Amino acid sequence: MNLRTTDREAVPEMPNRLGIQGIEFIEYATNRPQALGQVLEAMGFRPVARHRSREVTLYRQGGMNLVVNANPDDARVSATVDGQAEISAVAFRVQDALKAHTRCIDLGAWSVASHAQAMELHIPAIHGPGGTRFYFVDRWQEFSIYDIDFKPIPTVDQHPAAVESMSYFGLVQYIGSARSQDWLAYYEHMFDFSVIADEERFGILPKGKLMKSPCGQFLWQLIEPDPWMEADEAPESLKRIGFGVKDVAQAVKTLKTNGVEFVESKELHPEDRGALTRSALGSVSFELVHQSV
Amino acid sequence: MNLLDGYGMDTITMAGPLEAKLEAMKSVGFSQVMLMARDLVGHPGGVKAAVKAVQKSGLRPTGFQVLRDFEGLSGHLHSYKVDIAKSMLEMCAATGSKVLLACSSTSRHATEDLDLIAKDLKKLAMMAIPLGIKVAYEGLSWGRTVNEFTTSWDVVCRADCPNLGIGIDSFHIFAAKTPLDAIEDIDPDRIYLAQLSDFMWHETPSFEERMTTARTFRVFPGEGVHSDQLADLVLRLERIGYRGDYSFEVFNDDYQQLPLETVAERARKSATWLHQDVLHRSAPLPSWASTSKRSAI
Repeated sequence: MNLRTTDREAVPEMPNRLGIQGIEFIEYATNRPQALGQVLEAMGFRPVARHRSREVTLYRQGGMNLVVNANPDDARVSATVDGQAEISAVAFRVQDALKAHTRCIDLGAWSVASHAQAMELHIPAIHGPGGTRFYFVDRWQEFSIYDIDFKPIPTVDQHPAAVESMSYFGLVQYIGSARSQDWLAYYEHMFDFSVIADEERFGILPKGKLMKSPCGQFLWQLIEPDPWMEADEAPESLKRIGFGVKDVAQAVKTLKTNGVEFVESKELHPEDRGALTRSALGSVSFELVHQSV
Repeated sequence: MNLLDGYGMDTITMAGPLEAKLEAMKSVGFSQVMLMARDLVGHPGGVKAAVKAVQKSGLRPTGFQVLRDFEGLSGHLHSYKVDIAKSMLEMCAATGSKVLLACSSTSRHATEDLDLIAKDLKKLAMMAIPLGIKVAYEGLSWGRTVNEFTTSWDVVCRADCPNLGIGIDSFHIFAAKTPLDAIEDIDPDRIYLAQLSDFMWHETPSFEERMTTARTFRVFPGEGVHSDQLADLVLRLERIGYRGDYSFEVFNDDYQQLPLETVAERARKSATWLHQDVLHRSAPLPSWASTSKRSAI
């Protein structure tokens, strides 16, 4: 007899067929990169490197990489309205980028054509909601992908510490009405995300459906328009980033001294569970979510 | 509220340019239209001009047709069909259509394995999700493996994807003589398209006869010899809770030679027959009787 202890209770193992291991970077597209840069710096990000061939800047704090894409040749940048920055891509750390990409294409994802220049990395990608992309990065352990495509900004600390140890907690995606089931199926099938019960919520904005990545490192929230907002035909988009933080009150205090403003209404205001920043540049807001270690 | 709101015509029924078809449909009171890819690619101004014409007409697209012979292929044939499907999905999205019609395969190169067929349809449905499109899978009565709605429903259940449902087509049901009792096994929320037409023959035993009749001699509901069956079908759909659109898919060589207004008028009569004589829904009240329009005194 060689029964393993887990066999007694049939504990299901979460499949992770892409070998997802967290978020490598999140990308914003904007034609006003300096204005967005100011917003990001107030949130604690520091510009650390610039792309070798395109108008793209890498920001960083702690373990979070954030890319600001202002390349005028990129349709996603020219599509941004009045300088309103939009989340244009999320890069997942995976076991094998080519295998992950191939698997997703086999399952029905739309491939993104590469525009890598000579000696630049070709990072495989698929189309996401709206005009967004999902990238697959597998070289995050041996060396940094940024060493190839980016030049460090001289004299700048390449690894600035994160404000109150903030880290990527998740993304909020706005979807069309009655589209929750479609996207739940999509992320479950493509990325092995799993649904979290409606009773379990984090932060102060509990609406919609919540999914968890198979690595358990980040969440994905899907929000439909309210039923009375039938005229809301806004395109589907990645709306905001959520940062996980141990002490929300302390983080709010620190960020306020940086000039970050928080939504403080009767219904929605900073509390122990989380906080929401006021929209900057018409579209950019961030959410703080309490995260126990 | 218009009596014809739940009904629409397919562009394939009429001859002439897209704009004239849309105008004819609109003139008799229809508010939706089932588009086909040829309306777009055959438009003298190209796809963009055709999309503009649809938007300008104010008619809501019921759906977009038709992706053929997609499922069950392998190797380069599969890759080829995936490319075709992508183009169809992009055109479908451009017109604002929320439903793409995919017909069951007639290809002898396609597998007969229902699980593999389901796998391919799931892939198609996944391709459609980012574009906000639902896929209606319809069993052609001369389909190689899937030729009845009972089998298309089986495949849709195996694929288990929320934006993949079935397309019901009365012609194929009557041609294949599929018993209507099986309608009750279908989840009404997964019927993404219901296309209605009648025809003049009682029997269409061979695939060849079905094909010829389907492509040249369908008539509007109430005009053929299957009116009672058609009424039965619609009532059964109503009973299981189907509240979606009905579109008239009437391929008819004679209608291709008639003035568009004449054809549209026949469609209007057919919709009125369905609405009042079959479904026994009342005619809408005139607008002056609507309380919501009354001004406060």
